[in-house]
Amino acid sequence: MADAGTKAEIRSNMWKPGGWQSLLTFVILTLAWLVGFSSRLFAVIRFESIIHEFDPWFNYRSTHYMVENGFYNFLNWFDDRAWYPLGRIVGGTVYPGLMVTSGTIHWVLHALHIPVHIRDICVFLAPIFSGLTALACYFFTKEIWSPGAGLFAACFIAIVPGYISRSVAGSYDNEGIAIFALMFTYYLWIKAVKTGSMNWAIFTALSYFYMVSAWGGYVFIINLIPLHVFVLLLMGRYSQRIFIAYTTFFIVGLILSMQIPFVGFQPIKTSEHMASAGVFALLIAYAVIKYVQSFLTKAEFKYFFLCAVAGSAAIIFCAVVGLTWAGYIHPWSGRFYSLYDTGYAKIHIPIIASVSEHQPTTWVSFFFDLHILVCAFPAGVWYCVKQINDERVFVILYAIFASYFAGVMVRLMLTLTPIVCVLASIAFSRTFEIYLKDDAPKSQSKVEEEEPPDSKNDRLYDKVGKTKKTKEERPKDQDTLGMNIKTIVVIALLMMLMLFAVHCTWVTSSAYSSPSIVLASYNHDGSRTILDDFREAYFWLRQNTDDKARVMSWWDYGYQIAGMGNKTTLVDNNTWNNSHIALVGKAMSSNETEAYKIMRMLDVDYVLVIFGGVIGYSGDDINKFLWMVRIAEGEHPKDIKESDYFTPQGEFRVDSGGSQTLLNCLMYKLSYYRFGELQLDFRSPPGFDRTRGVEIGNKNFDLTHLEEAYTSEHWLVRIYRVKDLDNRVKVTDPVIPKPKRKKPSKKTSRKKMGSIKNKPKIIKGKKPSKTGRK
Amino acid sequence: MASTGKTLLLILSIFIAVSLIDSVIKKKEDSLNDKVQQLMEWNNKKSVIKLNGDKFKQYLKTSPRNYSVILMLTALQPQRQCSVCKQANDEYQILANSWRQANDEYQILANSWRYSQQYANRLFFAMVDYDDGPDVFSSMKINTAPVFMHFPPKGKPKKGDTLDIHRVGFAAEQIAKWVGERTDIQIRVFRPPNYSGTLALALLFALVGGLLYLKRNNLEFLYNKTFWGVGSLFIIFAMTSGQMWNHIRGPPVMHKNPQTGQINYIHGSSQGQFIAETYIVFILNAAVVAGFVLLNEANNQKGDAGKKKVLSLVGLGCVAIFFSLLLSVFRSKYQGYPYSSNHTRCFNIPTCNSVIRKNSFFIRTVTEWNELDNHQVLSRTVEGFRFSLKRD
Repeated sequence: MADAGTKAEIRSNMWKPGGWQSLLTFVILTLAWLVGFSSRLFAVIRFESIIHEFDPWFNYRSTHYMVENGFYNFLNWFDDRAWYPLGRIVGGTVYPGLMVTSGTIHWVLHALHIPVHIRDICVFLAPIFSGLTALACYFFTKEIWSPGAGLFAACFIAIVPGYISRSVAGSYDNEGIAIFALMFTYYLWIKAVKTGSMNWAIFTALSYFYMVSAWGGYVFIINLIPLHVFVLLLMGRYSQRIFIAYTTFFIVGLILSMQIPFVGFQPIKTSEHMASAGVFALLIAYAVIKYVQSFLTKAEFKYFFLCAVAGSAAIIFCAVVGLTWAGYIHPWSGRFYSLYDTGYAKIHIPIIASVSEHQPTTWVSFFFDLHILVCAFPAGVWYCVKQINDERVFVILYAIFASYFAGVMVRLMLTLTPIVCVLASIAFSRTFEIYLKDDAPKSQSKVEEEEPPDSKNDRLYDKVGKTKKTKEERPKDQDTLGMNIKTIVVIALLMMLMLFAVHCTWVTSSAYSSPSIVLASYNHDGSRTILDDFREAYFWLRQNTDDKARVMSWWDYGYQIAGMGNKTTLVDNNTWNNSHIALVGKAMSSNETEAYKIMRMLDVDYVLVIFGGVIGYSGDDINKFLWMVRIAEGEHPKDIKESDYFTPQGEFRVDSGGSQTLLNCLMYKLSYYRFGELQLDFRSPPGFDRTRGVEIGNKNFDLTHLEEAYTSEHWLVRIYRVKDLDNRVKVTDPVIPKPKRKKPSKKTSRKKMGSIKNKPKIIKGKKPSKTGRK
Repeated sequence: MASTGKTLLLILSIFIAVSLIDSVIKKKEDSLNDKVQQLMEWNNKKSVIKLNGDKFKQYLKTSPRNYSVILMLTALQPQRQCSVCKQANDEYQILANSWRQANDEYQILANSWRYSQQYANRLFFAMVDYDDGPDVFSSMKINTAPVFMHFPPKGKPKKGDTLDIHRVGFAAEQIAKWVGERTDIQIRVFRPPNYSGTLALALLFALVGGLLYLKRNNLEFLYNKTFWGVGSLFIIFAMTSGQMWNHIRGPPVMHKNPQTGQINYIHGSSQGQFIAETYIVFILNAAVVAGFVLLNEANNQKGDAGKKKVLSLVGLGCVAIFFSLLLSVFRSKYQGYPYSSNHTRCFNIPTCNSVIRKNSFFIRTVTEWNELDNHQVLSRTVEGFRFSLKRD
């Protein structure tokens, strides 16, 4: 009997919706994490566990340094291998969150005696954090809307290409962990606003601190949260909760954010942070007025109010103007300014305009990165507006501003992606809630949803009452929408979501999973050829050159040379010194003699160029060359003129029709040195450039001040050694031999009186004919 | 005597010659002065001097000149249908104005009339409209407009004296840079502050303020959620359909193929877009969202079941149809989406249940054909195709 009793108990427990719900939630979130993790592994499976691209190499190098030398040495690290001869203070110019995160993981694993190389941690950090981002999205959406929507959001963010683009395995970059920090901070902020507890506000500030330590995009948080508070004030939704949440967050967050060496005093100096301080003052003023209002009469209050408003406005205005004038407050920094005035960067900062990440976004890239979500998420916005409350104001503001910024800059698509997932999940889960509710378990779950409001009734009545209720509801349900229609709608929507999943996989595998260090080309039979030229050449640099050798290259390859070649570079991807970059650009775009002067000045030992003409690699230095010229022209307008590098028709061409300045500049010579002797196949002439699709114009030239040191297998990377100064200056002009010829010599038959070729025939009284003169 | 007479004659002749030359020079100088005077006079009236065929010959072609002229050859008459010219004209006016403005400032600064006069004489801005002087166009062998040319003080315009519009465009800053390259006169461009934006903003604020003031007794509409919802959706649609890209890059509205007269609304590549295209995407996005809202509202409708069913079906139709339209627009920009193929001339092999023809000649050929590379498939001659096959 007792057995039967326990069985019944188990059964009742089994059918308790709460238990199933948490199990389902757990399973779905775990699956989302797993799917998100594994769909980011394309690059690792196809190639190997390597760090991708450019910036990750620097991050990896500094992480490696930190793991080897400890945290404090890392903070004080002066890197003399970058920006020769200036050097770079790394500890004070990086966001250390990324390195500290992977360093901590490394430390924990080693403490548990699990020996994992730091490189593998770096490679897999971003996929692991994508799972955490999915969790953060789930909690965020749960607070905003419902747990069901949260599950959708977690699934969306796990596979959406807009986020995968920055978090595939091997792309070891700040954004990989920053998006998690971003969403988690927002979740805690919503929690703080909802509860009004100082506890949550402090957690928000701590999470904000992590974000500040991880990515420069923290500015987005410190502007969006004050905006949220400001709009809530405008809407008349002020409350104690908001006051406590914001003031606590602001003060603690401000102090914490100033602990990062790279950020330093920026939060109280730059205009990007002023909005938060302004809202803080406004909130306090509003609270004071509210307080004063409670014990003043109406007339007195009016007087007080006017005085206070006028006085404080005047004081704030004077203070801001005065501080800006005195130079304590800096104007907007270029990158952020270009977000507001969209034409600014194009005119003033060529180095920003040259980076493709800073370009505006076409609708195609929105669709490419978000697929169906981009059409569905405005519906989520619509419902948030329709059923507004304090938190949803935040979501709406986030959606509007993030979509604006994503429109201005492709790179900021990353900040838009999480909110698109959240809002699209709201749209989908609402629709599914309506159209899936027909069958019996669903009606039960609906009762379950209704439970909290009448929990009092629950205590009074037993379960029989509940079943009665569902029976009452069922007929109601049936006269609304037919079963068939519901099924059709659900199946159609599921099909669309399937399309979305297919699209995500396709985009991830085809567009975002290339490490760009190892190139792959496919033959017609489907087999794959791996072009490992970059690593080959960097390894050569590492092994065969002097430890202190200085390598000049365009800034794109600075981090890779430092990371893989372990050599000193002149410029790298941390583009902090424009004039130094312009100097390198000038060397590349001048002729050899001029360039040699610059290279001697900068103590260059080797020059490295990327040349794609043999394999048809389009991202090589010749294609980037115009940017070098432009940047050099910006600093040295007298020596370098962009128009010299074009044909009179305004074309940029490397064949024989190209401009002579281009055909004789250093970059051209280094790229095409001895290329004229190479015939790639029988159909094309020797010196046929596959990238540009032309036969090059200047084939037979020799280098005087440089010599070829190394060229990789597919000619992708070419390294030249800069020769030392000659011991003896060769005299090229034959100045002395002339008088020697005049010496009388024996007259042989060959050396009789010389005759001038094309000697003009002069006849007396006649002008010499024109042909004669010529 | 004879020798003295000879010397006298010589001196006389030299004197005559010198005076003759002198007078010629004077005449030349006079004509030069006249020309400069005339140009200055015109320039005082208008910053850009309008020339016709005769004046062009007189002031730009004939030789005594000590001034550079920047000439814009253009076609401003509406029947010429040169919309670019109009735009270029505006930029040019700005430049010319700024030049004069710069000159004025220079005058004040140097406080030396003579020096500034010299300075001012060195450069003039002129223009020739096609309808005023078609002979100019024919003499310069120009059949496009607008063209910017620099006439140096000595000699004829050389290769670099024509501004390369295709490459640098005709923004005032770019023309100024080019002028600086050609004449060593650096012009700082003073754009008249664009009041239209500010004015529109002020107008908007005034309108909103006025509306609020008029309706101050009834501010209910501020609490209208539909109003705010539509507003925020509008911003989002504008951004996700790439209006910001249009604003920054300024693409054409659509593309008309000059040969066939066929109009393209959709840009062929995934890197670009037309204005018409973004509006299409805007509408498609909005329609999908409307479909989602209809789907949800269908259940909340109070009324008979039939109406609800129709509403939900319409909503589903909206979502499905407009989304697939959007998908097809996307696909037209990404060739071969979502399957990457080796080349552009692949054949599809339909799936079937039986294997009876699996190894037939056609199926095998098609599979082999599909595996070829693009450059092989696109060979123009049979010889080339055979050759490329052998090579690989």
